[in-house]
Amino acid sequence: MSTRNEIILVVEDNVQIRNFITYVLKEEGFSTLTSSTAQGALTAIVTQHIDLILLDLGLPDFDGMEVIRKVREWSDIPIIVVSARDQDKEKADALDTGADDYLTKPFSATELMARIRVAIRHLSKIGMNKSQPVLKVGELSIDFDKRQVTKNGEPIHLTPMEYNLLSLLFKNMGKVLTTQYILREIYGVGYGTDTQALRALMAGLRRKIETVPAKPHYIMTEIGVGYRLIDE
Amino acid sequence: MKTTAVSVIKNLFVAFILTVTATVIGFIFRYWNLQETNIVIIYILFVLLTARFTSGYVYGIAATVQSFLLFNWFFTEPYYSLKINDPTLILTAVIMFITATITSALTSKVKETALIAQEKEAESNALYQMTNHLTDATTYDKIASVIVKTLSRILECNVAFVCFDETGTTVSCFIQQKGDGTQIHRKLEDPVEFQKRMRNSHISVDAGMEFYDYPIYGRTSLLAVLRIPKEYGEKLNAAQKRIIHAAMESTSLALDRLSSFHEQAKSREEAVQERYRGNLLRAISHDLRTPLSGIMGNSEMLMGMSKKEDQKYELAKDIYEDADWLHGLVENILSLTRFQDQPLSLKKETEAVEEVVGAALVVFQKRMPDREIDVEIPDTLLLVPMDARLITQVLVNLLDNAAKHTAKEQEIKINVVVKEEQNIVEISVLDRGCGIPQAALSKVFQMFYTTSRKEASSKKGIGIGLPICQSIVEAHGGKIWAENRTNGGAKFTFTLPLEGEEK
Repeated sequence: MSTRNEIILVVEDNVQIRNFITYVLKEEGFSTLTSSTAQGALTAIVTQHIDLILLDLGLPDFDGMEVIRKVREWSDIPIIVVSARDQDKEKADALDTGADDYLTKPFSATELMARIRVAIRHLSKIGMNKSQPVLKVGELSIDFDKRQVTKNGEPIHLTPMEYNLLSLLFKNMGKVLTTQYILREIYGVGYGTDTQALRALMAGLRRKIETVPAKPHYIMTEIGVGYRLIDE
Repeated sequence: MKTTAVSVIKNLFVAFILTVTATVIGFIFRYWNLQETNIVIIYILFVLLTARFTSGYVYGIAATVQSFLLFNWFFTEPYYSLKINDPTLILTAVIMFITATITSALTSKVKETALIAQEKEAESNALYQMTNHLTDATTYDKIASVIVKTLSRILECNVAFVCFDETGTTVSCFIQQKGDGTQIHRKLEDPVEFQKRMRNSHISVDAGMEFYDYPIYGRTSLLAVLRIPKEYGEKLNAAQKRIIHAAMESTSLALDRLSSFHEQAKSREEAVQERYRGNLLRAISHDLRTPLSGIMGNSEMLMGMSKKEDQKYELAKDIYEDADWLHGLVENILSLTRFQDQPLSLKKETEAVEEVVGAALVVFQKRMPDREIDVEIPDTLLLVPMDARLITQVLVNLLDNAAKHTAKEQEIKINVVVKEEQNIVEISVLDRGCGIPQAALSKVFQMFYTTSRKEASSKKGIGIGLPICQSIVEAHGGKIWAENRTNGGAKFTFTLPLEGEEK
């Protein structure tokens, strides 16, 4: 059992799931705090040092969204939202409000750990405040200085827009990015909500980097929410 | 207008008295030595009065003739004979006759017109009242009662009315007005035959044994039949026929209104019930999901805690798989309830088919990581309006189904084809499994239908996956069907319309 010094706050009103999560986290060497209410969570966040929050959106006292909003007023602590599968709108809203990622119930220990690792790595990167010039995922690598993408060492020719999209995904590797966020980052604020343009752009990018675009290896579609570049 | 003996005698008496009065006044005038022309004027006046106070053209004429004779007898020389010596008086008498005739004719005409106007007003008043009452009527019986009562009063006969059920079932009795103001229910002689005859006869009136039957049609079908007793029906005048048709018109409107009101109430009630059912299902599913997550998480944890050879590992794995199966079921039910309450609220957005297929594969492969699925999809970007979450569910269900009936090494394939001439996209899930028995082909989309074949795997179906697929696809305006492939295996295909692709 490895020991780590991060403290994770688990906000979940269901005892079984809370036990499961804390067990998995302890196995991985994290310290945990728990709360079954939003109010308790806010108190804990204010009074204790916490590195990451796992937040269930359906809490008995008030909406988990409120917690995200309140925390984001003064802190950048990574927040991973836990919610049910048919609440796409809620997920996207939570991400746009400031949550870093989400997990869909039911999830496996592997999924949980993958999300937590991504969130914590982003946290440490913010601490270093210096991004690496070259990032790699699978056979795919991107060189930010040269603005060049290669697969298996072979350069791939991307349009400037496609490059922007891919580099945005690389900078948020493993994290789900909402359609709205991507549109804002790629096309600018005034562009509106034309998701079709993004879909077309994504289709073009996938045809260049994926072997079978309908069975993507790198960029996964999160239906109703957005896209995620996988993280190994 | 009744022409009874009493009224004839009364009218003749009035005419007689008036002409006698005129003659008496004539004698007074002669006593005062006034000229004969004044007497003529008096006679004309009294002819006019006769026409006014008697009913009918005839009595005016009678009074005229009588006045002419009396004048001639009493007031022209030689007196007490019909001879006239003075030729000017002959002229006076003739002019008097003509004037009296015209006057009496005109007067009775005016009277008649006034009478007709009065009658018409009474009729329209009665019709207005009827329409008012019909508007207030809230049941078919009330409508029948109102029309029977009003028409009987207007037409002065015992009108009857048959009201057909909105469901089209045979009606065996009808309502008829009786002379004493009551209404009775009577049996139809041959209800089935009667209804058939009425339905098939597209005429305005049908002469039966006892009644003249006027069928009343609504927007869509025969609603009712108005029955006028035969002896009255034969001698209806134009005005009465007009009234009957006006009454039928308002009745048809009232019946239509009532039936659409009933329909609305019924569909509203159904919608409410459907919503309750959906809400209940959704609430149960929601509540099931949370503990299922716990069970799955904890059993997974137990699997992680024990060695693979350990019996505990197997037990935990069984718990996990059953919970997973239950979870799939719950997701299916949730998908169904999600759009069943409000079929119009499908969250349709223009989606890339490849992304939806990809997402379905991710969900499927999370459950069966070692299953390889081939995908054949057009290379051009295909954008189709759909509720992506629901279509993903359709694909996952079809893939699950294919995997359940196909050995691990056999092929499962997703095929996407655009049919431009039909403006649809066809998405198929094909397998090389055992196929579908011929008898089951038409039934696989029925709710709770499962093939009786015993599956090797413990994963049983309860037969809701495919019906849910069908509901989802049809809500999108598409079709879904199953067939067997020529070289073995099954093929499930569904279509989605491409329309609305361009904004």
